[in-house]
Amino acid sequence: MVISDDLWVQAAAFVGAGFAVGFGAIGAALGEGYAAGRAGQAISHNPSLSDDIVKTMLIGQAVAESAGIFALVVAMLLVFKDVEGESLLSAFAYLGAGLSMGLAAIGSGVGSGMPAGAACEGVARQPAALSTIRTNMLVGSAVCQTPSVFGMVVAFMLLFIDWADRPFWPTWAALLGAGISTGFSAIGPGLGNGITANEATLGVARQPETSGTLTNTMLIGLTVAQSTVIYGFLVSLILLFIPKPESMAMVAWAAPLSAGICMGLGGIGPGIGEGITAAYAVRRVARDVEQNVLLTRVMLVGQAVSESTGIYSLIVSLLLIFVV
Amino acid sequence: MEDLTHVPKWFVTVAGMPLEFNSETLIMSWIVMGLIIVFGFLASRRAAFVPGPWQCIGEVILDAFEGLVNDALDENNRKYFPLIVTLFLFIWVSNIIGIVPGFSEPTRDLNTPLAYGIMGFFIAHYAGIKAKGFKAYASEYVQPMFFMAPLNIIGELSKVVSISFRLFGNIMGGTIIISVVSHLVYYLVLPPLLNVFFGLFVGTIQAFVYTMLTLVYISVQTK
Repeated sequence: MVISDDLWVQAAAFVGAGFAVGFGAIGAALGEGYAAGRAGQAISHNPSLSDDIVKTMLIGQAVAESAGIFALVVAMLLVFKDVEGESLLSAFAYLGAGLSMGLAAIGSGVGSGMPAGAACEGVARQPAALSTIRTNMLVGSAVCQTPSVFGMVVAFMLLFIDWADRPFWPTWAALLGAGISTGFSAIGPGLGNGITANEATLGVARQPETSGTLTNTMLIGLTVAQSTVIYGFLVSLILLFIPKPESMAMVAWAAPLSAGICMGLGGIGPGIGEGITAAYAVRRVARDVEQNVLLTRVMLVGQAVSESTGIYSLIVSLLLIFVV
Repeated sequence: MEDLTHVPKWFVTVAGMPLEFNSETLIMSWIVMGLIIVFGFLASRRAAFVPGPWQCIGEVILDAFEGLVNDALDENNRKYFPLIVTLFLFIWVSNIIGIVPGFSEPTRDLNTPLAYGIMGFFIAHYAGIKAKGFKAYASEYVQPMFFMAPLNIIGELSKVVSISFRLFGNIMGGTIIISVVSHLVYYLVLPPLLNVFFGLFVGTIQAFVYTMLTLVYISVQTK
């Protein structure tokens, strides 16, 4: 039996949709469960505040859910995509789109859940600072969503740009590599950002009057920890928009695919590590706000060193794309 | 959907050199600049002890950044304060102007964030050389060992990449989400909420983050 190209593309779209919503669900569900668990713990400490705590939990869960909703949107688009007359290249674009969105949603989902849980605990401890705690939580968990937004941008590019005029070999590997690069590299920063935002929200609950400085330090820590997903995004864009000449040689397709894998996996560790660095800095700032400037500087130096492995991955990826 | 990747362009030939201009980005940048100039004029026109509404808004923004700049920079480098506030105002207005129907964010075009990223890079390194002298500045690149120099240089360059792609990706992502989800729900109920979240909220946070990182880069170089 001969299977037509259309059928392959349709199958790839369905598999991509499965990847997107399946992986995406892991993150959002874990994050929300974690937030709910800590909300329950907070209520048992201070039952009279259960209304405020439940509301805070719901707001936090709504933000954590958005990573899952991005994944759902991509999956719906993949399921209902009209594949009539698409080239076989689209099959790999759809697989890449699913992987990029699904994997990117894991870190952000779990990460956004952490500040939500911390906010519930903080409200139970310091009910007077309710609105300050909620604001910090919202800022923290909204920034946690950035990695999943990058995954979504790559997924949409893969979905809606017409690749048919590129040669099948080796473009398929570049499309798949682009999805893998942003997808995997988003896991670390999403998770790391959550760890930082968690400490910052707890810190605001401990010392509400320092919330301005704390939110500031947190934002710097969060955004520096996101660097590796941005490198992943950069590698994806290079793979997508710099066309390669047609070639069936092994090297021609193995190089872009490995570039994606290299940057993708290389982005996980630094994202989490930098998040932990920032979390400790934020925790100490909450206890000793006078040392803010010094702590921020030490945090930046530590993050830069932790990031160096991510930069190695970026260099190897760029070498694989441009030199090999 | 196709308009996501379409960039309107002007083609001009100057002395035999074909030039391309991203017309939408240019026009929107001019509009943003015009808005900020009008705001600056309104805020400072009748500066009084009891401030009017425009002066009030201006003072709130300046006050907020004055504290941050004073924390981050020492006496000699306070001169970067106007730059930091202007950078924030421009990127902030650029990010949130997309909520006006028919207007697009200049920051959605990678060229805009990249231009300001490169500008911030050169200013930070100029400030560093000026504050410490060239020798002390250059010796930082061979820390902790001389063979780390290439890595340190790439680390510095990657800051430009991360600061500009972060802004670009967030604004681009917000625009895509708004247009796709609005399309899926037939433009009912959800679009205003999405615009508030991705346009106002994320746009403000990202403008602030961009400004703060530029400030931090200057601060790290000068101390």
